[in-house]
Amino acid sequence: MENRVKVLAAAAASCFCFPAMAGMEIDTVENLQRKQSTYKSLDETFEIQNETYRGQQYSQIYFARLHMMRTLLYSLVTHWKPHVPVCTVLGLEEGKECIIVGTLYKHMKLKPCILDEYSKERSAVPLVKHHNFMHPDDHLVLEDESGRVKLGGTVLSPSVYVTGVVVALHGKETGAGDFMVLDVLEAGLAPQIEPQLKSREDKYVVFISGVSAGSSLSNPLQFQLLVDHITGHLGDEKEQGIAAEIVHVVIAGNSVEIPLGLLNGQNLASKDQSRLSEPVQELDISLTQIAAGVPVDIMPGSNDPANFSLPQQPLNRWLFPGSRAYNTFRSCTNPHCFELDGVRILGTSGQNIDDLKKYSEGRDGLEFMERTLKWRHLAPTTPNTLGCYPFTDRDPFLIESCPHVYFVGNQDKYGTRILKGAEGQLVRLISIPKFCNTGMVVVLNLRNLECHTLSFETQFSS
Amino acid sequence: MYYQQQQSHPFLKIVVALPTMVAGCRGILEKGIQIDGLGMKNFLTYESNVLFALRFMIDCNVVGGNWIEVPAGKYRKTSKSLSNCQLEFDCLYSELISHAAEGEFSKMAPFRILSFDIECAGRKGHFPEPTHDPVIQVANLVTLQGEDQPFVRNIMTLNSCSPIVGVDVMSFETEREVLIAWKEFIREVDPDIIIGYNICKFDLPYLIERAATLGIAEFPVLGRIRNSRVRIKDATFSSRQYGTRESKEVTVEGRVQFDLLQVMQRDYKLSSYSLNSVSAHFLSEQKEDVHHSIISDLQNGNAETRRRLAVYCLKDAYLPQRLLDKLMLIYNYVEMARVTGVPLSFLLSRGQSIKVLSQLLRKAKEKNLVIPNVKRAGSEEKYEGATVLEPKAGFYENPIATLDFASLYPSIMMAYNLCYCTLVTPEDVRKLNLPPECVNKTPSGETFVKSNLQKGILPEILEELLTARKRAKADLKKAKDPFEKAVLDGRQLALKISANSVYGFTGATVAQLPCLEISSSVTSYGRQMIEHTKKLVEDKFTMLGGYEHNAEVIYGDTDSVMVQFGVSTVEAAMKLGREAAEYISGTFIKPINLEFEKVYYPYLLISKKRYAGLLWTNPDRFDKMDTKGIETVRRDNCLLVKNLVTECLHKILIDRDVPSAIQFVKNTISDLLMNRMDLSLLVITKGLTKTGDDYEVKAAHVTLAERMRKRDAATAPNVGDRVPYVIVKGAKGAKAFEKSEDPIYVLENNIPIDPQYYLENQISKPLLRIFEPILKNASKELLQGSHTRSISISTPSTGGIMKFAKKQLTCIGCKTLLSNSDQTLCSNCKGREAELYCKSVSQVSELEQIFGRLWTQCQECQGSLHQDVLCTSRDCPIFYRRKKAQKDMAEAKRQLDRWSF
Repeated sequence: MENRVKVLAAAAASCFCFPAMAGMEIDTVENLQRKQSTYKSLDETFEIQNETYRGQQYSQIYFARLHMMRTLLYSLVTHWKPHVPVCTVLGLEEGKECIIVGTLYKHMKLKPCILDEYSKERSAVPLVKHHNFMHPDDHLVLEDESGRVKLGGTVLSPSVYVTGVVVALHGKETGAGDFMVLDVLEAGLAPQIEPQLKSREDKYVVFISGVSAGSSLSNPLQFQLLVDHITGHLGDEKEQGIAAEIVHVVIAGNSVEIPLGLLNGQNLASKDQSRLSEPVQELDISLTQIAAGVPVDIMPGSNDPANFSLPQQPLNRWLFPGSRAYNTFRSCTNPHCFELDGVRILGTSGQNIDDLKKYSEGRDGLEFMERTLKWRHLAPTTPNTLGCYPFTDRDPFLIESCPHVYFVGNQDKYGTRILKGAEGQLVRLISIPKFCNTGMVVVLNLRNLECHTLSFETQFSS
Repeated sequence: MYYQQQQSHPFLKIVVALPTMVAGCRGILEKGIQIDGLGMKNFLTYESNVLFALRFMIDCNVVGGNWIEVPAGKYRKTSKSLSNCQLEFDCLYSELISHAAEGEFSKMAPFRILSFDIECAGRKGHFPEPTHDPVIQVANLVTLQGEDQPFVRNIMTLNSCSPIVGVDVMSFETEREVLIAWKEFIREVDPDIIIGYNICKFDLPYLIERAATLGIAEFPVLGRIRNSRVRIKDATFSSRQYGTRESKEVTVEGRVQFDLLQVMQRDYKLSSYSLNSVSAHFLSEQKEDVHHSIISDLQNGNAETRRRLAVYCLKDAYLPQRLLDKLMLIYNYVEMARVTGVPLSFLLSRGQSIKVLSQLLRKAKEKNLVIPNVKRAGSEEKYEGATVLEPKAGFYENPIATLDFASLYPSIMMAYNLCYCTLVTPEDVRKLNLPPECVNKTPSGETFVKSNLQKGILPEILEELLTARKRAKADLKKAKDPFEKAVLDGRQLALKISANSVYGFTGATVAQLPCLEISSSVTSYGRQMIEHTKKLVEDKFTMLGGYEHNAEVIYGDTDSVMVQFGVSTVEAAMKLGREAAEYISGTFIKPINLEFEKVYYPYLLISKKRYAGLLWTNPDRFDKMDTKGIETVRRDNCLLVKNLVTECLHKILIDRDVPSAIQFVKNTISDLLMNRMDLSLLVITKGLTKTGDDYEVKAAHVTLAERMRKRDAATAPNVGDRVPYVIVKGAKGAKAFEKSEDPIYVLENNIPIDPQYYLENQISKPLLRIFEPILKNASKELLQGSHTRSISISTPSTGGIMKFAKKQLTCIGCKTLLSNSDQTLCSNCKGREAELYCKSVSQVSELEQIFGRLWTQCQECQGSLHQDVLCTSRDCPIFYRRKKAQKDMAEAKRQLDRWSF
């Protein structure tokens, strides 16, 4: 189902002054009480506190990942194929069937490479920008600490898997030194805690992404309508009643667009200084309005003024002089994980899925999401093609406990599906479209984990 | 030698029992012998300095890479085998049937190619020496020619080594066993060709000398002759074309050594010949480079670390094989051997002249001529070289047509019948009284008879070479099979090179048979033709002659003439070019032929032998950017120069956007002065050939090597290494060589570089060269504009005044010193938090991006995700960037952390 909020051009102009009128309106109608929910942040694993760059490399994160996943997979293998021996890449013997566990590496012909910048021949024609780097010649390699082996056979499709996924493979070494894969075991969905669906009443969580304040695409009016809807300044009593059932707002990345072209190392002229901070100020004003009424979590995205590599650290509080005054305003990490009334919600601002789209194939965004859950890894392509902090002793992207809701921001299209796990786990997958392109937000009902969209449109009749 | 009128002379053929006796016999005859009744008499010997192998091949009409048939019944099995060959039999040499490389017999033999590499455990601070340092690993790959995967992969290691997938790992307790195992392996595998990288100068001699040190007497039997020991000779290879190089000659009977390093140095002009940069260039793959000081550590570790080393060693053995395949070297070299008739091994160990000599001898044999053994003149007689028409420098925005003489020098020799046997000596000119219509007098004053009196050998050789090339090219067009194509392409290339080297053979003063009369005649004809062409073009294509514009020859080099016809489209220029070529060709004696090949549009002519332009061979789109003599490849410049020049030319020629090129230069210079330059772009690399004391003049890289030795002897560069350095700011008036510094040291200690040095000594000249024809006041505009005003210098973290300095936080916004109560911003900058934070964080984000890409790339090269990157290849363009990214990242993170309070 979909709710549409339409404002015609005539009304548009006055929309801007809604916040100012707020005080008056509330006096006239019967007081509606906003519903509450209990919130528990689980972002700790994504926080980088005392870790610094001391010359460590990326091998450790792969090592940690392999170590964790292998322990897990070994325990599964005993149920999967109890009679097949398990060995390492080194211990492979030609013709002998066995199971090996290791990290996949996808050898890709078209993968962009930083060394290309130095290539001798500068081609006269500019390179075509690829949206997808797949090539029919791509092949997979399995690696553990002891070595690598090229994978053959048709069971394992290179178009599905990406570098960094840890799997168990059943097969045998061929004469050519390849490993002929007969069967694949993925880790599958992680165990899930029982959702405490104690709330027998409708409570809604609103997910927004890609507001892109300050970009040419964004329509400030559209966002203001959303803010007004959430804060209950729109519509009649019935509509306000629905708004009162919104218990939480999550902003999944790309809230502003900063003209980074301005930053070229030179000192900025004062007019450029303000151009740099204007979009953030604009966002802060809107956020202040939301935070005044309902708890809001803001996650950084690829375009936000935050660090680049995952996990992205919370947007700095200095950016939000207005909204930071409210304790309902939380600046969170990306990925972001929290519990709301016992429902575990995990999500990212989209980088992990966008990267998978570039390096593998799938029917839709939701399929990529399913895969990350089954691989038990939020972002397997880190650090290979997706930047990440070089952790030394852990891999924070491993999914140890399966969430009830898994969302990804900044996608092209809205999509949702229920994923069922082998042990009865149920996960609501949500792909959140970019607000600046679609004017759409996603609303999730905590009672039954159903969701629908809410569209905001402004029409200008000229 | 020289034109002779009589038909035949009597000669005496002396046959000796052993090849080595020829030289002695020759010496005796040349010195003179006492003959009863005639007294002391000395003789001019003929063909007495021909190498035995070549002699045999010529007599049996066998060329290199030749299929030989021994007819049934004409041979018998040897009673006692003398060799390790697979088949061994006796037959009479005259029974051999040599098959010309045509049809079925043009196929390549299935050579067994062994590619190997060794690792030695060097001591800290020393390059490995066979008298001290053990051989710890030998990696071998054996491939059958024409197949794309090796069929044997193994590695012999000293001490245990964990297994490697697809590789046979053989571990031994002692070094002696390793060496013996390798020897046995060679005998068993019986390779025809041994390849590797720098095997001739390092790997093979090292193994042999090491075996000698260990007293393994049976080791050096590696050849196919039983009990024949391998010998090492110091050889110097000197050639006009390739320069002088010292090497070691290791004779391994029956196995051709094909050192890829020698091939690269011979056939390609590269900025660096390390295996790393060669593979980066041809295979576009960076090779991991493990510093030799780490090798010992890996060896002394456990089976796992030795495995790591083994993987590296195997890769080093595999790369030469890949290069061999990729560059189709076997095809090209075998074809060259077939065309010129010399054995394959000569092609690498000897210069061009042996190839011409081989052809000359073969041809002479056919014609019943013998070639005298002329004493080498050794004099540095000079003759006038090729002509260069004075260039009219400038930036031409009209299409420039290029008229080329196809194989000019060979054509001249053919057209005017220039040869040893057609040259008439000045006295003979007087004596013989030849009719003037039967001789050609060359512009340099020599006289040659025309072909109706005596057809020259050289012209005949050339004719054959060129017709063969034409045929090969025609076949190439028809060929479908990729292998056949490779063979034919190799052949036509070999033919072309051979044809061109004939001229050089006559002119080389230290060669077998120099004849400056021929070479100076050739160049004088060449000069005449260029002048002639210029005159014809400028006379015919005029407005008076009914053409739209007056044509102008703007430049002419050895065998090409650049003409500006004045037309504005490529198509029109091509039409006129073709017309001119046809018209002018008509005025020359066959087979001299002027061809129209290409149009440059636009064209930047800088000076003699320096130009750049977009090359068009069809009117629709250009083929590529063509540059000559411009700093795009020179090795002793830093990368910055190359990048800058390439980018500028790209902008000027392809984008046709001069202002943006100027802007680009200005930005780069500003970046340089503001210390924003990527350090790896500034690294200059020079080879350390001798120790410091042996150098007469102090050079930057030598003094640096000395200094580094004092700092840490273990990692300091040794003789033979390449020393990378940057020029840093020194004391006032310090000499350039005193200001050199190790790039890593610079990075670690924040030492400021000297932008002025780079500006004045590195980039200014090449830039001005390009821009002078385009821009007035180029120097003023580019090198002194307002973009050079602001300068930023990093503060060194060690030494000098910094010991006395006190560090205090400054405001992120305006660099004012902060009072103790403030952490991030001064009171004036408060309120700009959002903006300034955005700036800080965008810096971090950019660095993180680079950090990730650089380090994952290194993992990629290394071929492993779970192991730390060890590579210290300084040839790798991202080595310094990687290091810098790590350091900058830590710093930027610290800056960012100041915001979190």
